[in-house]
Amino acid sequence: MTSSTTGVVAGERFAALREHAEAVYAAWRHPERPRIDVAIDTSSLASGAGATRAALERVAADRNAAVDLGRNHGYGMQWLQPLVTITWPDGTSVLYGPVRPEDAPSIVDEATGRVGAAAALASGVLAGDRPGIPSVREHPFFANEPRERRLLRNIGLTDPESLEHYIGSGGYRAVGRMLERHQQPEQVRQLLIDAALTGRGGAYFPTGVKWNFLAGAPTDERYLVCNADEGDPGAWVNRVILEGDPHLLIEGMVFGGFATGARHGFIYIRDEYPLAVERVDQAIRQAEAAGLLGEDILGSGFRFTLEVIRGAGAYVCGDETGLLSSISDMRGQPRIKPPFPAVSGVFFKPTNVNNVESYSNAPFVLRNGPEWYQAEGTEEMHGTRLFTFSGDIPRAGFMEVPFGTPLPALLEACGGISGGRGLGALQSGGPLGSLLPGAVLPTLDTTLNAFRAHGGSLGSGGMIFMSDETCPVHFNEFIADFVEEESCGRCTTCHHGNQRMTEVFRRIIDGGGRREDRHNLEMIDTTIQNSNCQHGQLSPTVMRNTLRHFAPTYDAHVAGHACPTLTCEGLTRFRVVDQSDPRLPEAVDICPVDAFRGAEGDWEILDDRCIRCGACTDVAPRGVAREPVPARPALVPVG
Amino acid sequence: MPLETEARAQVRALIADLKPNDGDLLIALHRVQHRYGYISREAMEVVAEQLDLFAAEVYGATTFYSEFRLEPPAATTVRWCSGPACRLRNGTGIRDAMLATLGLQTLGEQTADGRVGLTVGQCNGTCELAPQVWVDRTEDHSSRVVGQLTAARAVRLARALRDGTDADDV
Ligand SMILES: Cc1cc2nc3c(=O)[nH]c(=O)nc-3n(C[C@H](O)[C@H](O)[C@H](O)COP(=O)(O)O)c2cc1C
Ligand code: FES
Repeated sequence: MTSSTTGVVAGERFAALREHAEAVYAAWRHPERPRIDVAIDTSSLASGAGATRAALERVAADRNAAVDLGRNHGYGMQWLQPLVTITWPDGTSVLYGPVRPEDAPSIVDEATGRVGAAAALASGVLAGDRPGIPSVREHPFFANEPRERRLLRNIGLTDPESLEHYIGSGGYRAVGRMLERHQQPEQVRQLLIDAALTGRGGAYFPTGVKWNFLAGAPTDERYLVCNADEGDPGAWVNRVILEGDPHLLIEGMVFGGFATGARHGFIYIRDEYPLAVERVDQAIRQAEAAGLLGEDILGSGFRFTLEVIRGAGAYVCGDETGLLSSISDMRGQPRIKPPFPAVSGVFFKPTNVNNVESYSNAPFVLRNGPEWYQAEGTEEMHGTRLFTFSGDIPRAGFMEVPFGTPLPALLEACGGISGGRGLGALQSGGPLGSLLPGAVLPTLDTTLNAFRAHGGSLGSGGMIFMSDETCPVHFNEFIADFVEEESCGRCTTCHHGNQRMTEVFRRIIDGGGRREDRHNLEMIDTTIQNSNCQHGQLSPTVMRNTLRHFAPTYDAHVAGHACPTLTCEGLTRFRVVDQSDPRLPEAVDICPVDAFRGAEGDWEILDDRCIRCGACTDVAPRGVAREPVPARPALVPVG
Repeated sequence: MPLETEARAQVRALIADLKPNDGDLLIALHRVQHRYGYISREAMEVVAEQLDLFAAEVYGATTFYSEFRLEPPAATTVRWCSGPACRLRNGTGIRDAMLATLGLQTLGEQTADGRVGLTVGQCNGTCELAPQVWVDRTEDHSSRVVGQLTAARAVRLARALRDGTDADDV
C-alpha cells in the first residue's frame, strides 16, 4: 500500500467508528426513557455509592419504573458523594447529592415524572434547563473553572467505561485526522512546543522538548512511560482522569508514540488505585479491539501498544528514574542523572516519561491548535491544570483552573476554612513541596513564581488548607516520617539525614525540644541536599519552610516548651475539668489505656498512662479538656 | 536448582506466562501475594527462575515495596490513613488509640491470635471522609472504608475487631 492509500484507509476506518459512536453517544445524551446514573469512582464508592446503586435498582424493579440505570464519574463535588445524575429524554441532566439508599424512592420518583420529589438533593443542572435549579456551572465551587472544561470535559457526562462515549464526544478525532493526512512526527512535536505545554508532574518541563529528545534517540527500541504513581498524599488529580476518562490518556499516549517513534508504552499506576488499574486496562483492550491501538492502527501501518503496570506502594517510584527501575524488574531505586531517560530508560533503552495530565493535554492541542490552548493561563504558564482540595474546608473535591488563578479565590470556592477559623497554613507539592503560612495567601496564585517567591512549590495538583488550629511543628513530624520511610536507602545523607530529622521533630513534639535544634535541623537540611536523587534533595523543604515562616510557633515549642494549638503530645495533657459532665463514665470506659482513676464526682486522669489519643474528649467534651503541661525548668543552652 | 515440590510447581504454574526482561516482576509478585496472602522465600526463588533474576534481586524488590509481605497477614488488617487531611483531624490520636486497644507497639504488627493487624495506609483521595481507615478482610479480599472517625470510634472499632464482635456498624 502506498502512503496515500493508508491515509484513505485510516480516514475511512475512523469515520466508521465515529459514526457508530456518535449514534451511541447521542442516545446516551437523549435516552428513550429517563436514566439514573450513579457516580462510580473511588470517592463515591467510599461514600457508599454501591449501596445507593443497589437501592435504586431495587426501587426501580419493585415499581417496575420506566427508568434505566447507568454509570458516570463524580463531577468534582466530592463532599456531596454519592452523586447521582438523572438524564431525561429531552437531554436535560440534573445532578443530585448526597444520595443515600433511603433517598432512592424520591430519585426514582423524580426521574419518572414527579419532578421536585428530590428537589432537596438537587445540586445543579448539568445540561439543558430546569426551572428552579441553577446550572452546576454557577456553583461557587466551580467559580474559577474556565467557561468550558477541557481536561474534565467528559467528567460526569459520559460513562467512563464506554469507548463510544469518548469517540462520540470528539475523542480520537485528532488521531484519525493525523493518520489520514500523514502528519509528520515533527509536526506533532512542534505543535506541543508552540503551545508551550509543560509537564504536570511538578517540574513543568516543556513536554514537546522532551519528546524531541526521544525522537532523536539513536535506536528504534524505545519506550513511552506514563507516570501515574501519584504518590503525593492529598493529590488525586491523575486518579480523576484514569478513572473518569481513561481514553483521554490513551489518546495522548498514541500521539506520544507517534511523535517520538516509541512503539510500546507502560502506564505505571499506584497500587492504591485499583479501580484506575481496572478502567485503564479495560480501555486499552477496547482501543485495541477498535484498531486504535495495536500493530496497525486504523490500517495506517502505525504500530503502538500499551500495558498497565501496577505499583506496589513506594513513593520514590514516582521519581521518573525510580519508576524506570521499577518497570525494569529491579527494586524501585532512583538512578543518577545523567544519563537521562531519553538516553537510558526502561531496560536501559531510550524512554520518555510524562505525567498522566501532561499526556492528556496533547489531544486538545492536536484537536484545537496551540492558540486555543494558550487562550487560558498567563503569559508564562499556559493552559489549565487540575487541582484537588482537602483539609479543613467544607468542600473537598477536584476542579480544573487556568494557571494564574488566585489562591484566595480557590479557598473561597472551597467554602473557606471550616468553622469560621482562619487559614493557618497551605500545603502544596506533597511531602517534597511546601508549607506556607496563611498570611501569604493574598500573594499566591497558581503559578510557579508565586510559590517560589516564598520558597514554596506549586506542585502537582494537591492543595491542603489547614486551619489556624493546626500545629505546623506536629505536621512536620508527618512529613519527616514520610520522607524517611520512603527513602530508597542508597544515600546516607538521605536515609540517615531524614531519620535524624524525624527524631528531632519527635523529640520536640514530645516536649524535649532544645535550643540547638534549629542549628541541627539546618545542618541536616544542607547535608540532605547532597543526596543523589530529588527525593533526598527535596526532602528538607517543608522543614525549611517551617523554620522560615513559622518561627514564632517553632520557638514556642523549643524555647518555651509550649504548643500554642495544644496539639503536640508532650506539651499537652488531658484533665478532668468538669466533674458534673454526665458523660464522664463513658469517657472512663472508652479510654484504651485505663488512665482514669477515682469515682463519680472525683475522676482524675493519670498523666503517665495517658497516651493523648483524645477518645475521652470525643465522648465527654465538657468534662475533659486539653491543657498545656506545666512549664518545665529551662534547659541550659548548649553551644 | 532446588528440588521441585508441589508448592513450587503451583507457583510456577501461576506465573508461567511471565518472561524475563519484560517488566513482569511486579506482576509476578502481585499474583503470588494475591493467591497466598504473602510472598514466601520459596515463591521468590521460583519467580527468580522464571524471570531469570537472582533470588537476591527478587528478595530486594519484595522488601522494597511496602505492599508486599513476607509473612501471612492477619485475618483482618486495618490500614490507617497517614495522609494530611486525616492527620489534621486527630489522625495520630486515632492511630495511637487503635494500637493501644489492640495491644500493639507499632504499625505493621498484628495481635497474637492473628485476628487483627494494623498497618500504615496512604491517602487515596477520598479526603472528604477524613479521618479514615480501611478494613481489609484477607479471606475475600474485601475492603471497607470507615470514615469520619474519632478516636473514640476508633477504640470501638478496634475492640469489636479484637473481640470478634460485630464491627460493621461501629
Ligand atoms: C520522589 C519523587 C516522586 C515523584 N512522584 C511523581 C508522581 O507521583 N507523579 C509524577 O508525574 N511525577 C512525579 N515526580 C516527578 C517525576 O520525576 C517526573 O518529573 C515527571 O514524571 C515527569 O513528567 P512531566 O514532565 O510530564 O511532569 C516525582 C519526583 C520525585 C523526586
Ligand atoms: S488524607 Fe486520608 S484520605 Fe486523604
